[in-house]
Amino acid sequence: MAYLLGIPLLVGLAILQSSLLGSFRFIDGRPDLVLLAVIGWALAGGKTEAMVWGLIGGSLLDMFSELPFGSSAIILILVAYLVSLYEGRVWEAHLLMPLGITLLGSLAYHFWFLAVLFLMGRTIDLNFALGRVILPSLFLNVILALPASQLLIGLRRRLFPPELEI
Amino acid sequence: MKRPNSRLIVVGSLLLVAVALLILNASGFLQPLQNLGMRPVTSIQTWFAVRYSALRDLLASPRDVAALREEINRLEAENARLEQEIISLREQASEAETLSALLNYARSQPENRYLAANVIGRDVSPFIRSILINQGSDNGLAKGMPVVTARGLVGRIVEVFASYARIQLITDPDTAVNVRFQDARTEGILTAELNGDLIVDLIDLNANLTQGELVLTSGLGGKYPSNIPVGQVTSIRRRDFDLFQTATIQPSVDFEELNIVLVITNFQPIILESSSP
Repeated sequence: MAYLLGIPLLVGLAILQSSLLGSFRFIDGRPDLVLLAVIGWALAGGKTEAMVWGLIGGSLLDMFSELPFGSSAIILILVAYLVSLYEGRVWEAHLLMPLGITLLGSLAYHFWFLAVLFLMGRTIDLNFALGRVILPSLFLNVILALPASQLLIGLRRRLFPPELEI
Repeated sequence: MKRPNSRLIVVGSLLLVAVALLILNASGFLQPLQNLGMRPVTSIQTWFAVRYSALRDLLASPRDVAALREEINRLEAENARLEQEIISLREQASEAETLSALLNYARSQPENRYLAANVIGRDVSPFIRSILINQGSDNGLAKGMPVVTARGLVGRIVEVFASYARIQLITDPDTAVNVRFQDARTEGILTAELNGDLIVDLIDLNANLTQGELVLTSGLGGKYPSNIPVGQVTSIRRRDFDLFQTATIQPSVDFEELNIVLVITNFQPIILESSSP
């Protein structure tokens, strides 16, 4: 069920990221919708599913990018795995925990792409990348993290209601 | 203890799949699958991009918004239906306007053959300045074909799939274009800064450049046809102890507002493996 939901959702988010968010920018940063969905689903409890979402979402993003195919998938799977390392209890108690997780996940995500671009032989200016792209993107991701994770947690609860012990 | 181990197996397997995809793509085996997978996605993206662009044009123009508001007030009863109609008509009008300008441009350059394409997306990585168009190898497009608008040079095709193609913009830091200055009759190499600003380097120190001077493609290197407008000189840096002077260029194309582009289909580019211009 989570995969049935995930595929159209991720296709939609990847298209949105390429079409709409291509021109919606804060400085040169953009929100990373697929990353937010993967983190949100992992936080919602679908840890293994989030890793598969990472593979699907990453492959879709790579179709819209000049980056090597599979590179987004690798980092999204790893981010989902890292989120899954912590058991749910910690952030269930702290509403703001998704913000910290998103911040770390986004940092890992963007630095991975800097490394990939470096390996591709592209010019990298770390000051420009940090100041104009990474930090604004982190800001947008953090702003969207709470509604995204709450939305996905709500969706997961609706789809997979917790079992009650009688 | 079992759960983390099983999760490790899952992440390991998924990473293996991702690495396999990476290798398959690098060796070109994935392209047929990518063509197949992207066909429906491209259609959805074209649909979305065209409507989004029409909506953006509508919202971007204050006069249009005012007119629209008036109309909404006047026709409140038919609001929803008419809004759709207005958006659709504006979309057609804007598209017709762009196509008319492109047609005029194409007529002024009879030696070239053109194929019009809709811009359906941008690279999802903010570090790469490329766009996606809704025409691909099915329509005869090939790697290296130059892309223009009525205003000037946009870039060149760097990747072609069955139903779409990727265009590297001249504002991408990996691009280099051989250009010449219209009045000074001197040449240089246009490159882009990481923030998208265009710089022409390697200009003869004795050349007398002026602000506002038109910069055109020179055709050297065989990547682009000659005489396509690129932009205008906004500032010049000339120091006697330098070997060359540099000029900052204001591109003639507004890269944020690209909706329809023309691909020059009869130009045979010389593609070299290195990134030299």
